[in-house]
Amino acid sequence: MAYTLVVKSLLLAVLILIPFLTNSYFAYQLGLYLLYGMVGQGIALCWGKGGFLPLGQALFFGIGAYISGTILQDSVGWLSVISALILSILIPAFIAGLVGLLVFDRQIGSGPYFSLITLALSLLGYQLANSQVWITGGFNGLTGIGGLPGIDSYGSLYFFIVGALAISTFVLVYLIRTPFGQLLEAVRENEERTQFLGINTSLVKAAAFAISGAIAGLAGAFFAPHQGIVTPQVVGFILSAELVIWAAVGGRFGFIGPIVGAVLIGFLASGLRDSFAYWEVGVALVFILVVLRMPGGISGMVTSLLRRFNIDILSNNVSSRSQIIPKKNNLRKPVLKFDNVSVKVGNVSILDNLSFTIENPGVHCLIGPNGAGKTSALNALTGKLDYNTGNVYWSGKSLKGIRPFRTPKIGIGRKLQVPSIFSNLTVRQNIDIAIWVNRLNIKHLFSVRPYSWGTNLLKDLEESFPFLNKTDVHAGTLSVGQRQMLDFAMTVLAEPDLILLDEPCAGLSKYETEKMILAISKLAKTSKATFIIVEHDMHVVELLSDNVFVMHQGKLLAQGSLEEIRANKEVQVVYAGGSK
Amino acid sequence: MEALITFVLNFIYSSATLALIVLGLAMVFGLLGVMNMAHGEFVMLGAYSAYVVQSLGLNFIWAIPISILVCVIVGWLMEWTIIRHLYNRPFDTLLATWGVAILIRKGIEAIFSRDYKSVDQVMPGTIDILGITYPSYRLILIAIIILLFVTLFAWYQKSKTGLRIRAMVQNPGLASAVGIDTSRLSTVTFIIGVSFAGLAGVLLAPLVRVEPYIGLDYLLSSFFILIVGGLGTLEGLLIGSAVIGGSDALISTIFDKTAGYLSVLLLSILFLWLRPDGIYSRR
Repeated sequence: MAYTLVVKSLLLAVLILIPFLTNSYFAYQLGLYLLYGMVGQGIALCWGKGGFLPLGQALFFGIGAYISGTILQDSVGWLSVISALILSILIPAFIAGLVGLLVFDRQIGSGPYFSLITLALSLLGYQLANSQVWITGGFNGLTGIGGLPGIDSYGSLYFFIVGALAISTFVLVYLIRTPFGQLLEAVRENEERTQFLGINTSLVKAAAFAISGAIAGLAGAFFAPHQGIVTPQVVGFILSAELVIWAAVGGRFGFIGPIVGAVLIGFLASGLRDSFAYWEVGVALVFILVVLRMPGGISGMVTSLLRRFNIDILSNNVSSRSQIIPKKNNLRKPVLKFDNVSVKVGNVSILDNLSFTIENPGVHCLIGPNGAGKTSALNALTGKLDYNTGNVYWSGKSLKGIRPFRTPKIGIGRKLQVPSIFSNLTVRQNIDIAIWVNRLNIKHLFSVRPYSWGTNLLKDLEESFPFLNKTDVHAGTLSVGQRQMLDFAMTVLAEPDLILLDEPCAGLSKYETEKMILAISKLAKTSKATFIIVEHDMHVVELLSDNVFVMHQGKLLAQGSLEEIRANKEVQVVYAGGSK
Repeated sequence: MEALITFVLNFIYSSATLALIVLGLAMVFGLLGVMNMAHGEFVMLGAYSAYVVQSLGLNFIWAIPISILVCVIVGWLMEWTIIRHLYNRPFDTLLATWGVAILIRKGIEAIFSRDYKSVDQVMPGTIDILGITYPSYRLILIAIIILLFVTLFAWYQKSKTGLRIRAMVQNPGLASAVGIDTSRLSTVTFIIGVSFAGLAGVLLAPLVRVEPYIGLDYLLSSFFILIVGGLGTLEGLLIGSAVIGGSDALISTIFDKTAGYLSVLLLSILFLWLRPDGIYSRR
């Protein structure tokens, strides 16, 4: 961390000194590229950190520019300047947040929908800017925009721009170190898993997009006095595309990269655009190359170069878990009831009048041949699968229509069949996110305090699985067995009352399986939670549980102790073949 | 009454052209899972082929083979150098094809300049139909598009290649295990998809302003149609084209072009919100 702070302070010092070292025209040009770089920082927040790409970011830049331009046209007091700044930040942020909420709530992942809708919005903005002449001045633009009071647009305005850039950099760097930033990265890594950890991921993404809109608006607010004119090109798709290219080439995984990209390509373009007809084609080629071959862009290359000399500028100092969070109280009525649940897709019956009740805490196993509907039953229970008829009740409440991210709040924890962890985050970061489930509120979201949280359960788990102590290791480098164990640890760290484990021992060695069984039975003894474990390995079932449910073709076939199940004729038919 | 018939014919005409453009995008997105952000640029390449053919003084009909040749070459290059390596990385395909879109746009801009080009009407006459006079070129266009759709649909359902493509979409691993060359099939599908876009560009060229940036509009309207109609069925594609083309035409006539565009955008967001899988969905 110390390194990056030094590097950033040095860069800031250089930026402040530039007007004294070069001519004022150079600083004036640089000011414009720094503003574009600020917009690029917002793109980096969405794209590099959040994993979704806004293709119409110029819209927010342009809205900021039009708002501040309109206000500065009329009056020249500091009060109006400040109101211009505030409006230029808030209005784009609001629009971005609203669009984000609308789109993200229905589309999980990085799909094309968000990108294309932002592109469409930018095209719409361009059309509106051309047609709504009474607001924007139409094709000729908003002209006669005054500078800030007493500030020379070709001189000292530059320092204000550097100031705004310093603020946006500081805010973003801080933000990404808070739990909010870590959750945003978790969404990029695995959105579904993040939802099962109780996070409303569409809200997190929309908030990040709103912040990027706010920064773009702030940059636009300075663009108007800097240029003295605002034309429809400022909201348009061409600038939007260029902003994405600059951020990509400079490096989208940090907040310095986008500035480097904007400044570098900006100066090169001003020198070469007119003399070299295929300049823009060349830039597009470089962009494609960056996408295919070096996603980190220029700053990614610099980082890996420094790493060769053993200078790791990305390492974070890890705070110790000094604050032990007490265990939460168990639910009073941990009763799970499937009441005639049926799911049909087309002609295929996935669940067929499934009914069973679990009233006692402890370990219950769910077995059945492949395709019996075991995972589907868990999906119905956690809001992943909508059922046509019947209902599921948990501690007396209906779970019909529940959203996955709400399930942790009512005490349900779920481990998915495929070990789902955040590969590009460290083990420590994975565990942090799991500890935050149900414990993090809005206030904590933007403070670094939650990093010091620990629980007694975590200490127990670290005893069972010592690798959980290896804080610096990226989760993606773990073995399959360790991933299962980490996933298991993350599921139970929220201390749920109903723990759903979908094949926790799949892919484990014999030794690892023993360790996992030990950890589960230890937790079952101490926690009073209800476990439902989907398992194929009868050895595991035998060791863990004396209450077994057998499913076949979407129905409950049998229930009882393992002895009873083994003696059951129908179960034998299903498993061993034969006829009734 | 006459105004109504004119409107209905205009509506059919605009839905048909949109359907032709979206067809290629839907093939590539639906079958290969590739959101080709450069799809509109292939429409643009088709339109420029028509312009070049006319500037050389050749018969307009030459534009069709030339545009298809151009699209096959560019599409093949694109599949070979970029798409092929990204089949399981949809987000990277989005980015890379977006880069290609900019590349093609800027390339055309560098060669032909930013100015509007106009392609002369091939068939300037009108036909009397249902009591009104209507441009004959548009009617012929509608007929060609319907014919094309019927042929493609029959080919996809009946031909061996169609069967292989369907097998590949359902289970690529199994398809290649039973001896289907899925990588070649993907290339072919991609090239056919972009060639349809190029063909649409030729047919539309006499009716629109030809400039380097027209592709974006076509990409976005195709995308809106996919949202409304859903992926995977021909009915959805046609209904989506009708809904998007119809509302755009209607609102644009009553208010202005911007309002039409706004209505289409809002409609798409509404559909995304209420029916994320579109009107006709496979699920």
